[in-house]
Amino acid sequence: MVATVLKLRYRVLGNTLSRSVWQLIGFIAGALWAVSVLGMLVIGLVALSIFQGLEVARVVSVLGGALLVLGWIIAPVLVAGVDTTVDAPRLAPFPLSTRQIMQVLTATGITGIPGIATGIAALATIVLWLRWPIAAVVALPCIALGVLTCVVATRFMATLSAGLGQGRRGREVIGTIVLALLILSGPIVTSVLSLVDRGADLGVRFTQIAVAVSWTPLGAAWAVPGDIAAGEWLPALLKLLIALATVALLWVLWHRALEASITSPPRRSAAKARAGSLGWFGRMPTGGVGATWARSLTSWLHDPRYSRQLLIVPLLPIVFAFAGGIDGGLFLLSPLLIALMLAIVGYTDISYDGTAFTAVLAAGVRGRADRLGRTLGAAVIGIPITVVLTIVVVAITGRGETLPALLGGALGIVLAGYGVSAVSSALIVMPVAGPGDSPFKSVPGQSFLTSLSVFAVWGVCIVVSAPALVIALISVFTGQALLGWIALAVGVVVGIAAVVVGIVVGGRTLDRTGPDLLARMKAFPR
Amino acid sequence: MVPTGSFYGLVGPNGAGKTTTLSMATGLLRPDAGTVWVHGVDVWADPVAAKAMIGNLADGVRLFDRLTGEQLITYTAMMFGLPREEIAARTADLLTLMDLREAAGTIVADYSAGMTKKVALACALVHAPRLLVLDEPFESVDPVSAANIEDVLRGYTASGGTVIVSSHSMDLVQRMCDHVAVIAAGSVLAAGTVDEVRAGETLQDRFVSLVGGRHVSEGPQWLRQS
Repeated sequence: MVATVLKLRYRVLGNTLSRSVWQLIGFIAGALWAVSVLGMLVIGLVALSIFQGLEVARVVSVLGGALLVLGWIIAPVLVAGVDTTVDAPRLAPFPLSTRQIMQVLTATGITGIPGIATGIAALATIVLWLRWPIAAVVALPCIALGVLTCVVATRFMATLSAGLGQGRRGREVIGTIVLALLILSGPIVTSVLSLVDRGADLGVRFTQIAVAVSWTPLGAAWAVPGDIAAGEWLPALLKLLIALATVALLWVLWHRALEASITSPPRRSAAKARAGSLGWFGRMPTGGVGATWARSLTSWLHDPRYSRQLLIVPLLPIVFAFAGGIDGGLFLLSPLLIALMLAIVGYTDISYDGTAFTAVLAAGVRGRADRLGRTLGAAVIGIPITVVLTIVVVAITGRGETLPALLGGALGIVLAGYGVSAVSSALIVMPVAGPGDSPFKSVPGQSFLTSLSVFAVWGVCIVVSAPALVIALISVFTGQALLGWIALAVGVVVGIAAVVVGIVVGGRTLDRTGPDLLARMKAFPR
Repeated sequence: MVPTGSFYGLVGPNGAGKTTTLSMATGLLRPDAGTVWVHGVDVWADPVAAKAMIGNLADGVRLFDRLTGEQLITYTAMMFGLPREEIAARTADLLTLMDLREAAGTIVADYSAGMTKKVALACALVHAPRLLVLDEPFESVDPVSAANIEDVLRGYTASGGTVIVSSHSMDLVQRMCDHVAVIAAGSVLAAGTVDEVRAGETLQDRFVSLVGGRHVSEGPQWLRQS
C-alpha cells in the first residue's frame, strides 16, 4: 500500500516536470542548491569532528537538530509549503484506515526531497561521534527518531491548520499569525540570548541554551549520542525517553486531528454581507478604471495573498530596531527598505487574478484603464503606509531634519515600483496559490521564477529612483536639510513620471499580450 | 456563419474544440489563422468594439470569487461602463431572474456549482449584449432555474439578439436551438438549421452517426453484479 502511493507520488512529480521546461529548470536549480548546502554541511561536520572536542559537537548536534525540527514545523508556511501531491483528503475515498493513511503520509514525507535532504544531513552527524563507538551506534536510531519527529510534526501541523481553520477565514488568519511570529522570531531569539548570563561570551551562552534545549522535545533525540559519549548514561536514557514520548504523543495527536478532519470535512462558512452592500464598488465611478480600482482595493484589503505581504511592512522597522537599536543607521533607513518591499508587491498582479482574468479580457477594458485602476488601488494603500511609517520612524529617532529626504527616497522608490509593475505585470504571469487555497500549499516551480524576475524588477526600480535615492542618502549622511527637500521634489516628480510612462507603456503591452497571458495561466497546474 | 437573431447550438464530443472555438470567437484566445466578424467588426482587429457587443460565459475559468454575487455583477457592469443608476436596477433584475436574491450578499467562493454558473450567466447578460456566447450554460443548474433562464433567452432571440450555446445535451439543443453545428476533432461535420442537420432522425441519433464511436455492450464481465 505504502509502496503504491510512493510510486504514484513520484509519477506525479515526473509528469509535472516533463510538462513544463521552467518547472524542470526550477526543480534542478533547487536540487543543486540542496546538494551544495548538504555538501558544505558534511564538510563542516567532518572538520568539526577533527578539530573540535566533544563539548562543541554536543552543542552543534542539539542546536542544529532543534532548529531542524523547528524548521520542519514552521518553514512550510513561509518558504516551501507542504507537498500536497498526497494528502489526507485525497486519500479519503480509498479504503484505508486512519493508521494506514498516517503511515503513507509519513513515508511520503520522509522520501520527499526535503525528507531525503534532512535524512542525509542528520546521518552526517554520525561523524561527530566516531571517536566514541557506542555513541556512534546509538546515534543511528536517535537520528531516525529525530527525522521521524520532523516529519510527523509537520504533518500534524498541516492537519491541524486544516482542521482548526474550518472555514476559509480561519485558515487565512492562522497563516498570517504564523508568518508574523516567524518574522518576529529574530528579535525573540536575540532577546532570549541576552536573557541568559549577560556577562558570558557567545560560546558559553550557546552551551547554556543547548543544555536547556536538550531536555525539550525539540532537542532530546539529538542530545542522546553526545551524552553517551560524555559517559552521562542517566541523562541519555531520560532524553531518549523524552524523544520517544514526543513522537508517540505527536502520533496520537495527529491521529485524533486527522480523524476529526476526515469525518468532518471543512465546512463552508457562509460569511454573509448584507445584500445591497457594494463595498468599494458602490463608491468608485463606473467604467474600466473605477471597476478595476474598486476590485484592486478590495483585494488589497481582503485577499490574504495581498494583505499578508502588507503585514511584513510594519514589522521590518521593528526587526531593525532589535537588530541595531533605534539609534542605528539601519533603523533610520528602514523606510527605504519598506518602500522596496511595497514597490514589488504588484509586479505580477495579473497572476493573482488567475483565470478570472477572463472577465477583464472579455469586457474589452483598455489596457491603460486596467493599469491605471490597479495602480490607484495599490497606491491608495501603499502611499499612506509609506508616509505614515516614515514619519513614525523619524519621530522615534528624533531626527526630524531627515524627514524630507527619507520621504523623498521612499516615495521615489514606491512610485517607480508602481511604474515598473504596470509594465512587468503585463508581461509576467507565474503560478501562485489560488485565492482560497491553504497557506500550506506549495506551487511547484514558483520559487525559482519568482526570485529571477523579482531581482530584475527591483533593479529597474532602483535605477529609476536612483536620482532621488542618491540625493536623499547624501542629505541624511551630511545633514544638509536643503538637499532633503530637493530629494523629496525629485522623488515625487520622477516617480509620477515613471507611473505615467508605466501606465501608457504597460497599457499598450497589455492590449497586445492579454490573450497570451490568459492562455499561459490556463496552462498552469492547478 | 451564425445568422443574426438565431439560437445557435454548438455540439461535439469531449475534446472536440468547442471551448477553443468559442474562446477564439470572443477574443480570449488568439487564433493561428482566420478572422472572426461580429456585426461587421473584426474581433481581433478591434477587440474593444467587438467585446462591447458580446456577452460571454466562459467555461472552466475562475470568477473573481472573493466578491459577493451582487458585487461581481456590479463590477462587470462597471467594466462595460454602464451608468450608475442603470447598474443597480439591472443587478436587482438579474439576481431575481437567477433566483440569487437570497445569496446576493454571500461571496461567490461559497456558492455551489450551479449558483456560480448562474451568477456568471448574469454577468454575461448585464450589459445587454447583441450577441451572447454561452459555453455549457446549464451545467449543474437546477431544472427550475434552467427553465426560467430558457424563457429569458427565447425572449432575447425573439427581440433580435443572437445566442450561441455549446452543450452536451442533445435534448436541450433540439428543444431550444433553431441552428446547430456538429464539430469533432476541431472540424465542422455538419451545420445548418436543426431540421437540416438532423435530417429526419433525432439529433441524438444523427450526432452519434456523424461522430461515431458508439459501441453496444453491457460493459465488462467483472463489472456485472450477478
